[in-house]
Amino acid sequence: MPILDKLRLDGRVAIMTGAGRGLGRAMALALAEAGTDLVATARTQSQIEETAVLVRERGRRCLPVVCDVTDSGSVNAMVEAALAEYGRIDILVNNAGGITPGFANSLTDISDQTWRTGIDTNLTGAMYCSRAVIPHMVKQASGKIINVTSGFGLRAGRDNFMYTTAKAGLINFTRSLSLTYGPAIQANLIAPGLFPHDDPAMSEWWKGGKYTPMGRLGRDEELGPLCVFLASDLTSYMNGQIIVLDGGGLAGGHAPTGFAPVVPLAEEEGRGK
Amino acid sequence: MTDEFSLAGKNALVIGASNSLGRAAAVALAEAGANVGVTTSTRLQREEVAANSCANEVWALNRKGFAQAIDAADEADVRAAIERAVLEFGKLDVLVNAQDLPFAKPLTEITPAEWRRVLDVNLTGVYLACRAAGERMLSQEYGRVINIASVLGERGMANVGAYCAAQAGVLNMTRALALEWARRGVTVNAIGAGWTAGMGIIGGDEGRQALERYLPYKRLAKPEEIAGAVVYLASDAAAYLTGQVIWIEGGALSHV
Repeated sequence: MPILDKLRLDGRVAIMTGAGRGLGRAMALALAEAGTDLVATARTQSQIEETAVLVRERGRRCLPVVCDVTDSGSVNAMVEAALAEYGRIDILVNNAGGITPGFANSLTDISDQTWRTGIDTNLTGAMYCSRAVIPHMVKQASGKIINVTSGFGLRAGRDNFMYTTAKAGLINFTRSLSLTYGPAIQANLIAPGLFPHDDPAMSEWWKGGKYTPMGRLGRDEELGPLCVFLASDLTSYMNGQIIVLDGGGLAGGHAPTGFAPVVPLAEEEGRGK
Repeated sequence: MTDEFSLAGKNALVIGASNSLGRAAAVALAEAGANVGVTTSTRLQREEVAANSCANEVWALNRKGFAQAIDAADEADVRAAIERAVLEFGKLDVLVNAQDLPFAKPLTEITPAEWRRVLDVNLTGVYLACRAAGERMLSQEYGRVINIASVLGERGMANVGAYCAAQAGVLNMTRALALEWARRGVTVNAIGAGWTAGMGIIGGDEGRQALERYLPYKRLAKPEEIAGAVVYLASDAAAYLTGQVIWIEGGALSHV
């Protein structure tokens, strides 16, 4: 089969959590364009209905299901609904997550509940979804789980506790998934850099990408092809790994220092050429 | 969606297509639509035969291509290969560094000449190719550099000190160069390949069987399983991806 055809996902079924906007919507549409039917979930019905319209415009089926990933009952019901509609699940993208109340609190100002909400939203939700889907993937002897972590899963931040801890936990959760259920099932991660999701305030907060090596911020639609690549047969030997898409941010750092000055080699007396 | 991965109209050079990973990369690029020139890693005759046969596969896919025997550690040789790609294709968009010189020996027995040769081909060769291709890519404000390295750039292994040092060097040079060229239209990434069939440091049937017992997949990678990432990184779909290593290693690095 020619290599580009291996990116086609016709006949496969994908669940996208956090599908109502931003990266989740962009990845859902990319999967639809590659041929998958979708289950689009999020907490806000109107947003997943909009995503469903866009998926159907691309000629694919879409089942919008309201689901709170921090509630295992809600997750299990969503997966049952997906199976009732399609009879199979080939791809699970754990994309739901984000900053939660008390995000930037100092450690002593984080309440037990604030901590749990942050960890549940960004880590436990992915476990609930994976736990509900895995038996069906095992039965099919195939499946792809794609977990969306963050640069903050690999590097830390000051006064950033729940989010960095949960996103780092998600990375090692994914590695254990890969060792437990591979090679039939592959579990990998995407770590997006700074994506303002068309929000001018976020763009402004990140200075338009001035301190990102590439000099710009990410565009949601740039996540789409990466999601398709990881969902495809081209990545069958890739398991438990992270692809960072961040315009060079983690290769060095989102730093204002830029280029090192030129430092010539010292003249060493008596040293031959 | 798959259009974004197409390489139709792009022109590539694969250094070291005489080994199994380089060959799979070259064939994958051609399948995705690119013209592909290929070279050897060293001037060994068996490498020249392999590179010629790889070029035949490129031609069979109706793409332009050529094979050139080079020493990947020789500045003039590397420059000549890049000049030839520009001459034959008119432009060079994609450089894949797959040069590989396998070598394993206890460190106290490695001669300084052996050390230098291993570092020269596996690491300095990548620098030479990046420098020569980079001049072109920076002037056209477009380019994709893909360095194929090994899990031995991240994990150590007894008797493989020189090769491990070179592979780790490739990974961190990739990061530094990506930052240097980030605003000039050229992305620089690496692929960290797992233990792959047809590559050097595996060591006969016994070594292969021991590896297969250890690997989560219980088998080596097929070279084609690495090559998909070469196409992704070479394509417009990966325009925002730079300075990264994509590991394709069947879970080998996730193990304790």
